[in-house]
Amino acid sequence: MKRNTAAKVAVASAGAMLLAACGQGGPGADSGAISDDSIVLAVLNDQSGVYKDLSGPNSVKAVEMAIADFKEEHGDDAVTDNIEVVSADHQNEPDVANTKAQELYDRENADVILDVPTSSAALAVANQAKTKKKLFLNVGAATTELTGAQCNKYTFHWAYDTYMLANGTGTAVTEGGGKNWQIIYPDYAFGQDMEKSFTAAVEGAGGSVDGSIATPFPNDNFATFLTKAAAKDPDVIGTMQAGGDLINLVKQFNEGGYADRGISLAVGLMFITDIHSLGVEQFAGTQFTEAWYWNMDDEARAWADRFLEETGTRPSFAHAANYSAALQYLEAVQRAETDESDAVVEELEGLQAEDVFLRNGEVRAEDHRVIHDAYLAKVKSPDEVEEDWDYEEIVATIPAADAFRPVEESGCEM
Amino acid sequence: MSNLTTDADTAHFDLPSDRGEGHGRSPLRWLLLAAGLAVAVALPWFVYPPIAMDILCWALFAIALDILLGYCGLLSFGHAAFWGGSAYATGLVAVHYGVPFPLAVLAGMLFAMTIAVPIGYLSVRATGIYFAMVTLAFAQMIYFIANQWRDVTGGENGLQAVPKTFFGIEAVETEAFYFYYAALPMILLGMWAAWRIVHSPFGRVLVAIRDNSPRARALGYDVERYKVIAFVLSAGLAGLAGGLFAISHGFVSLQEVNWTTSGKVVLMTVLGGIGTLWGGAVGAGFIVQLEDYMASSGFEGIGIVTGSVFVIVVLLFRRGIWGTVAHLVSSRSTRSAGRRG
Repeated sequence: MKRNTAAKVAVASAGAMLLAACGQGGPGADSGAISDDSIVLAVLNDQSGVYKDLSGPNSVKAVEMAIADFKEEHGDDAVTDNIEVVSADHQNEPDVANTKAQELYDRENADVILDVPTSSAALAVANQAKTKKKLFLNVGAATTELTGAQCNKYTFHWAYDTYMLANGTGTAVTEGGGKNWQIIYPDYAFGQDMEKSFTAAVEGAGGSVDGSIATPFPNDNFATFLTKAAAKDPDVIGTMQAGGDLINLVKQFNEGGYADRGISLAVGLMFITDIHSLGVEQFAGTQFTEAWYWNMDDEARAWADRFLEETGTRPSFAHAANYSAALQYLEAVQRAETDESDAVVEELEGLQAEDVFLRNGEVRAEDHRVIHDAYLAKVKSPDEVEEDWDYEEIVATIPAADAFRPVEESGCEM
Repeated sequence: MSNLTTDADTAHFDLPSDRGEGHGRSPLRWLLLAAGLAVAVALPWFVYPPIAMDILCWALFAIALDILLGYCGLLSFGHAAFWGGSAYATGLVAVHYGVPFPLAVLAGMLFAMTIAVPIGYLSVRATGIYFAMVTLAFAQMIYFIANQWRDVTGGENGLQAVPKTFFGIEAVETEAFYFYYAALPMILLGMWAAWRIVHSPFGRVLVAIRDNSPRARALGYDVERYKVIAFVLSAGLAGLAGGLFAISHGFVSLQEVNWTTSGKVVLMTVLGGIGTLWGGAVGAGFIVQLEDYMASSGFEGIGIVTGSVFVIVVLLFRRGIWGTVAHLVSSRSTRSAGRRG
């Protein structure tokens, strides 16, 4: 945000005298099809805290890769040459996200905001998108509210949500023989949603959830909760913990020797970066739902190799989804021949797309949920790992149509 | 408060005066007041308007805290309960009744003062670190209520889409720049109230209690009652700030009632200078700007920087930014007055 310093100083000095003038209205009238002669993509995410690894600065890299690919594909025919990325850190605080989103739209002339993990932050940004009539393509947040009661015309939800995670893992594990479940979930919005969705999915697949245990959030010691859950002799303990809490719970699950008693662990939300930080041996055999995996096929792998060169690490699905969202946005601008929000929304709605991330992808017009194939993954055992980051095995593909919440249930009215 | 005022008026005795009173009615004070007003009016021209609004709200919040910390010697570590409680109340009134925002904010402020009565009553019995812990505990209770009562507060997702209703004047309702000027009078009123409180006879009794509460008690002051009243007034001003913050942001999140918010406002007050009142505003301006700058700078360690600044100020400038400046100015004027004499 250093770009505008000069302008700010100018405004400031002129300002005192021109107080009666029109103040700081919105962005000036658009001179051409592309506002300010450039397309500005803004990445707003956690650049310093718990979600730094799974989105963070590498999401910015992914968006830069999308811009490079777009330019390469369209060359001189591209709607503009002037495409830039700006980024900001929302520190996972909704207040900061809210202010930064306004700032990105107003001061940085961002045409679209990408990523935004943390549900409360994402909902705040969605509200700003609605007010400012600018696009918001969410990748990092899990809440179904974005495409439910709080949906709006300018907000799209790209990668995953709680319904997809619960439905995928709950159904697949139950059908795979894990009939009796105990669920351990953190007692806040995300955990409560996950618990409900999981219970519905497990029961829908013919299993039963015999008990659900709420835990404080955040929390370090899960031993008592695990003991309590295991006392009922379930086939599966499902944990809805995420991030650092998940890592603690998994460690304690392993130390408790529950696997030897025939209890398997299913994880609600897990990123490859979690496996990487704890080590594959701690998670071996755990099943979970993936939106995308870097080594799932040649196309994904080729892109992941490029990503590795750029960043020195393998991409999480959030990185790939940011790439996809940026690319599809630019393609939509290209087709619309303008970056005017309403025209771009029209191009995106109903779009059927295939790219590195989207397989059988479709942008649902009714609720702006982007649906695509999802995957049931299993963490490899240490002796199966052939190279760095080679942690997952794709067990099954969940077709796009089944993976996400049906439109009828969304409750979205735009 | 009138009966209290008479109460205090009848008892004339020497009180240790608070800092800044040294240059009592000097022209310097008016100069500073004019400068402060000019900064408040010009702020959105220099600073991005939503950030300017944040600075105003935090400034009033820090000033409200300073009434307790600087003038009663009570370190409240639970003021987020009033800031956030008012933010939720304001948000709910604005969402459900669609009243003009000043009314919603007043409702929020009343709510903050209402919950401050029992909290203050139960907290002021403790002093020092115990007072801090008890207020923190109450604030955490408010936090958990806000988190669990999802149907009303939105829980983790926050209370979204709080409107800035203002008599149908669209510029104020949509542009942060104009909203700033609509909200500024309320903030200034709050600051004026804070100034009146600490410079009234009531405020002098507070200082007396801070410095020697057994003596104040011996003189016949109901120490607990004074503390509770100061607590409720401070909570009301914190609520005014929190309500405006909620309206300005257009939503309320759990962040508002989180203990980190209580910590942040203590940081601002200490940075600016305890017991200087306006120091809180300086500290707020500094911290909000710093955080905003850091968030877009790409530098990761925001906590490290604010933490280091805090440590440096506490170690080297114990009076805080404003306190140090005020001290330098007043000691110089005393010296020059001495020379002239």
